[in-house]
Amino acid sequence: MNGAQHILDTFHRHSIQTVFGYPGGCIMPLYDALVDDVRVEHVLCRHEQACALAADGYARASGELGVCIATSGPGATNLITGVANAHRDSIPMLVITGQVPSGLIGTDAFQETDVLGMTLGIVKHSYLIGNANELPAILEEAMALAQSGRPGPVWIDIPKDVLLAGTTPTPMRQSTPQDHSCPNLSGALAMLRAAKKPLLYSGGGISLAHAEKNFREFAQCSGLPAVVTLKGIGNAGKHSAYNLGMLGMHGSRAANRAVDECDLLLVIGARLDDRATGKLDGFAPNARTIHIDADAAEFNKLRDADLALRGDLNAILSGLSAALQEAPLAISEWQKQCQTSRTTGGFQAADNEEPLAPITGPAFIRQLSRVTPDDTVIACDVGQHQMWVAQQYQFDHPRHHLTSGGLGTMGFGLPAAIGAQFANRQSTVINVTGDGSFMMNAQELATIRRYNLPLKLIIMDNQCLGMVRQQQELFYSNRESQIDLNDNPDFVAMARAFDIPALKIERTDQIRRGVETILAYNGPMLLHVAIAREENVWPVVQPGGSNTDMIDETRRTPADNKEQVA
Amino acid sequence: MSTQSHPQQTPSYTLTCRMSHEAAALERLCQVVRIRGFRIAKMAVESVLEGTDETLDIALTIQGARPVAVLQSQLEKLHTVAEVKLASPALAHAASRIA
Ligand SMILES: Cc1ncc(C[n+]2csc(CCOP(=O)(O)OP(=O)(O)O)c2C)c(N)n1
Ligand SMILES: [Mg+2]
Repeated sequence: MNGAQHILDTFHRHSIQTVFGYPGGCIMPLYDALVDDVRVEHVLCRHEQACALAADGYARASGELGVCIATSGPGATNLITGVANAHRDSIPMLVITGQVPSGLIGTDAFQETDVLGMTLGIVKHSYLIGNANELPAILEEAMALAQSGRPGPVWIDIPKDVLLAGTTPTPMRQSTPQDHSCPNLSGALAMLRAAKKPLLYSGGGISLAHAEKNFREFAQCSGLPAVVTLKGIGNAGKHSAYNLGMLGMHGSRAANRAVDECDLLLVIGARLDDRATGKLDGFAPNARTIHIDADAAEFNKLRDADLALRGDLNAILSGLSAALQEAPLAISEWQKQCQTSRTTGGFQAADNEEPLAPITGPAFIRQLSRVTPDDTVIACDVGQHQMWVAQQYQFDHPRHHLTSGGLGTMGFGLPAAIGAQFANRQSTVINVTGDGSFMMNAQELATIRRYNLPLKLIIMDNQCLGMVRQQQELFYSNRESQIDLNDNPDFVAMARAFDIPALKIERTDQIRRGVETILAYNGPMLLHVAIAREENVWPVVQPGGSNTDMIDETRRTPADNKEQVA
Repeated sequence: MSTQSHPQQTPSYTLTCRMSHEAAALERLCQVVRIRGFRIAKMAVESVLEGTDETLDIALTIQGARPVAVLQSQLEKLHTVAEVKLASPALAHAASRIA
């Protein structure tokens, strides 16, 4: 067995059935081996960035390892954004690239780039294979590493000669066993019991740890009012009584207010990102902090924790639940206060009653949320539409909401949706995108067609880079600069050119029909939704500002104050 | 950020670190030190053979205004790093030099 065949064999042994890749010179031995291997489905995307983002979407939706493959040089550099995206959101991913033959490394050979050096900051770990016999052990180690502890992308760069050489496996390296230990919880319980206004703050770490079930049990039996980060949306489920929604820059008033008032912040699986906390000085000013995470390097990074607990989130959450079930917390006043605050300060978008009125972003997403099946996966892009999804769509599970959190990668949504559809072949998968973001990976319409994926695409077209326009309006004196997209292509015609049916809606009374039509269609379909250019995401906190200084629509600058710059 | 501040006034720390001698091992270490807000003032590296495993023993003097414990846990997180020890902090006097 040569190195390339060994890789496919390893995939098979680890039940990896789907990989996303793009061939080229130095990775050709692997593509040659694929010809004779029916066990692995190779999905050919149309750009390596999309391969990485599809592998990312696959991993997010399934909770399993995503795999992407590319050639050396431009293949590897094209992967970088997708791998960085996975790194920032701690997504388990295996990246395999071909490299120029060992003897040519360092000679500026054709399609040689220093992949190892170039990617150090965007991987959990990386390897350059020096010898074919190392390959088996490194592959095993890389796959385990990508999925253990705090997950992340692991990159293996393999010279072409290594892919061709016979492998005689060397002994496997000793891997560190997964840490399932539970730290002592008495300190945390004492702090919880002493608090009058404790608040649960959870993030993407819950689903990364596969701790959704234990989290929900804990949220329920503790009765803690709760806020979530962008990546934590869905943690509490649709019907949680005390969930105040997303906090932060575009968070709900109720969530940001609760953080401001609480006297104990219980942070679980979250890293206190600046988009969530706003200005740190003003963040949860009255609260002591308990920080629970799988990664000790998150403790005291941005805010000192009064108590930091590292360990397996499942073990910790079930330990806490057991203790609280025996003796519940007495926080009914605080619960009541938060529930009231939720009714007045939650995300409210009035449904537009006027049938001929133009469609507004939030109202559209609300309607979408009502019509879609419960197991629908929504893969967002980046911008205003992403925030409207975060605010208005009712998610019942964090793996149903795929969003580029840490990196904020425009172009994420379409390939991520492709990955998610391969992970959940029977589920409804919808890419909600913007007119700007869609064009960043629009070539993937060809992938959808090729594999006949029943994906639904919704373009929320405001004819501009809306999120940037909004910030220019609010924080740069209305000076619009390079955000105009009024020369967008005809998206319906574009989809049809890829043999994907499409339709356009622009009035409120067309929303329901439009959504139902694409959902009912047996195959891929695109819905082009024209929305107003001037719409903003509310509320908003100025970048670098404090979450208590939320701006809402009433403080909008009048439109006639607008100065056109570009 | 702190890396821009005057080296003489910036806290300085000495770390020792043991890591396996894999491709890009030192670059990885230096990259983390830099991105987490520290600059290297002094560095000594020695490769040691333990059985069949080759490890690197590294002594580092670094300067930076951020809490060094945060850097330490970031370094400990690197897959190839076996151990990071922090000697007691002292103020930097010597001009920076990379050995
Ligand atoms: C690759 C990339 N480039 C630039 C940005 C900066 N950016 C953030 S949101 C945004 C506008 C997105 O426009 P669109 O997709 O139309 O969404 P909208 O905000 O209009 O809903 C831009 C340019 C980014 N996040 N990612
Ligand atoms: Mg737009």
